[in-house]
Amino acid sequence: MSLCQNRLQEERKQWRKDHPFGFYARPQKTPQGVLDLKVWECGIPGKAGTIWEGGLFKLIVAFPDEYPTKPPKCKFSPPLFHPNVYPSGTVCLSILNEEEAWKPAITIKQILLGVQDLLDDPNPESPAQAEAYNMFKKDRVEYERRIKRVVRENAAP
Amino acid sequence: MDTDDEFMSNPSSEEEDMMPDDSDNDMSGDDDFDFDDEPDPEDIDIQQDFGSKKKAVYDIDYKVYRPQDIQEQQDDLIREVNMILNISKEEAAILLRHFRWNKERLIEEIMDKRSQTLETAGLSENHTQVPRLQVIPCFACDICCEDEEGLESFALKCGHRYCVNCYRQYLTQKICEDGEAARIQCPSDDCNLIIDARSLDLLVTQDLTDRYRRLLNRTYVEDRDSLKWCPAPDCENVVECDIKKKDLNRIVPTVSCLCSERFCFGCPNEDHQPAPCDLVKKWLKKCADDSETANWISANTKECPKCNSTIEKNGGCNHMTCRKCKHEFCWMCMGLWSEHGTSWYNCNRFEEKSGTDARDAQAKSRVSLERYLHYYNRYANHEQSARLDKEMFLKTEKKMVSLQKESGMSWIEVQYLSSASQALQTCRRTLMWTYAFAFYLARNNLTEIFEDNQKDLEMAVESLSEMFEKPVQDLADAKVDIMDKTSYCNKRRVILLNDTAQNLAEGKWTFNVEFTNPTPLGAVGSSSRR
Repeated sequence: MSLCQNRLQEERKQWRKDHPFGFYARPQKTPQGVLDLKVWECGIPGKAGTIWEGGLFKLIVAFPDEYPTKPPKCKFSPPLFHPNVYPSGTVCLSILNEEEAWKPAITIKQILLGVQDLLDDPNPESPAQAEAYNMFKKDRVEYERRIKRVVRENAAP
Repeated sequence: MDTDDEFMSNPSSEEEDMMPDDSDNDMSGDDDFDFDDEPDPEDIDIQQDFGSKKKAVYDIDYKVYRPQDIQEQQDDLIREVNMILNISKEEAAILLRHFRWNKERLIEEIMDKRSQTLETAGLSENHTQVPRLQVIPCFACDICCEDEEGLESFALKCGHRYCVNCYRQYLTQKICEDGEAARIQCPSDDCNLIIDARSLDLLVTQDLTDRYRRLLNRTYVEDRDSLKWCPAPDCENVVECDIKKKDLNRIVPTVSCLCSERFCFGCPNEDHQPAPCDLVKKWLKKCADDSETANWISANTKECPKCNSTIEKNGGCNHMTCRKCKHEFCWMCMGLWSEHGTSWYNCNRFEEKSGTDARDAQAKSRVSLERYLHYYNRYANHEQSARLDKEMFLKTEKKMVSLQKESGMSWIEVQYLSSASQALQTCRRTLMWTYAFAFYLARNNLTEIFEDNQKDLEMAVESLSEMFEKPVQDLADAKVDIMDKTSYCNKRRVILLNDTAQNLAEGKWTFNVEFTNPTPLGAVGSSSRR
């Protein structure tokens, strides 16, 4: 079996054995009902004690054939209002960038926790969408109000 | 410098040594012909003003290294650090790369704060054991999750252990696809330990280590400001030159590789003497943006007589109303429309005063555009001619062969054609850049001398160029004439370049643009006059 498939199967095993509270992560089913290990549907809860608390955000993680040599692509669905999320929903994060901090040993758990950290701790050095970035820089009160609305729209069950 | 004479590309010192063994590529090279920086011996007498017997004013000091010299340089530095600091050669190499081969700073920092420096450079002080391939019972690789018995694994000193296959794949990706070599880290998250050359040898195949070493050489040259690759295709030589960024406004650092490629050490362009790098950059940008646009503007538009906005008339009558300033004028005579009456479609008021004034003003505002086009057209013309001359050179080679057959001349005796062709190309290139240079020159006496020199060179070049049009049988009779003209071209070029370089070094030119990083001129002083 290919390295990619092998590793993903193992990741899945590990995840089922143990995963952080409030998260979910499962391979998608193709329209024919077959499990597609290369596309995972994940949920990231907002961290307790932050303005993101109470939200659960759906993230699609797509693994390339070269995984784990190359990083997976993470995309919020629907796109999320956040300075480091592109209008398409793609997450801009150093550990997800092949040229930056991606290492083959990074696990799905680490990725999801990393994205959770990013929610309340945006990186103003690499803005990915204008709206959230400008509001974050210029009007923090309005920004937080907006986030709370986003959290309400994506409330955890 | 004495010890490195063999690497000097100074033709005068190299010519004698190079000639015999390089004679096989003389057809394309220029070994037997001295159009290079170095003036011919007979050129010296015309530039006595400049004192120095060996060097023209525009010459700079530089050395050319072959790939093995580059390797030796690195090995020497590594050996030195290895002995002074008592660390392994691989670690010394990683440290040197981290400090961009600045040995003094490296040693200082290590003496100062050893463990911290080692860590930021991606090394570990942990001396447990030399990394090697191991089979460890009950090992499972965190990358591929393989846990079969007898799986070979590897870990750097940090102890992050992965199976050999995963390590290999990781390194292949980094080396082949990402082109990384000097800073490949341990595959573990959050571990910045650098993989050294010896560990790499354990893990990958020969072709990968070869590429790894090439990449390391590349980073070595890129890390050092005084080194630059020769840009010629398939040439692997490196040129060392100590020119400082701040001197670039006074010196045009043209270097010439052993492969005869001439290029500028200060910027990524070809040889662009006599124009300084900054002007070249400005000029190329202007040409990229402007030349076609300027031609179009010149041909198709007029300017509003009041606010100088550029206007294209795309239909309608002669009654123009400027969209910006609402000025009303006649397109034909450029005069005020209020004086104009009702002649919407034809204008017979050409002699009226307001129209004449407006046209004069128009002409003035067009001057700068026309001036640019004047220089650009000549620049582009020489560029094209240089290209054509290059094609001509290829034909010349054939002519040389047929000339040998027809006239019974020996191979050595027909070399004058190759020399002439080379001279033509080099002089054309110089001429081309004189026009870019002249575009930025303010008008004064020096500029007039410059233009005289430019004109002399241009005439010399054109008259030599003409000789090449002759049929083969006439070429033999014109041998003396061609040789004279070749030598005259080269002399004129040396004179022009000496003059411009001298004035540039002394900060005497007045330009109509600011340099991007202006240097205080007085700093040059009179010392540059030898």
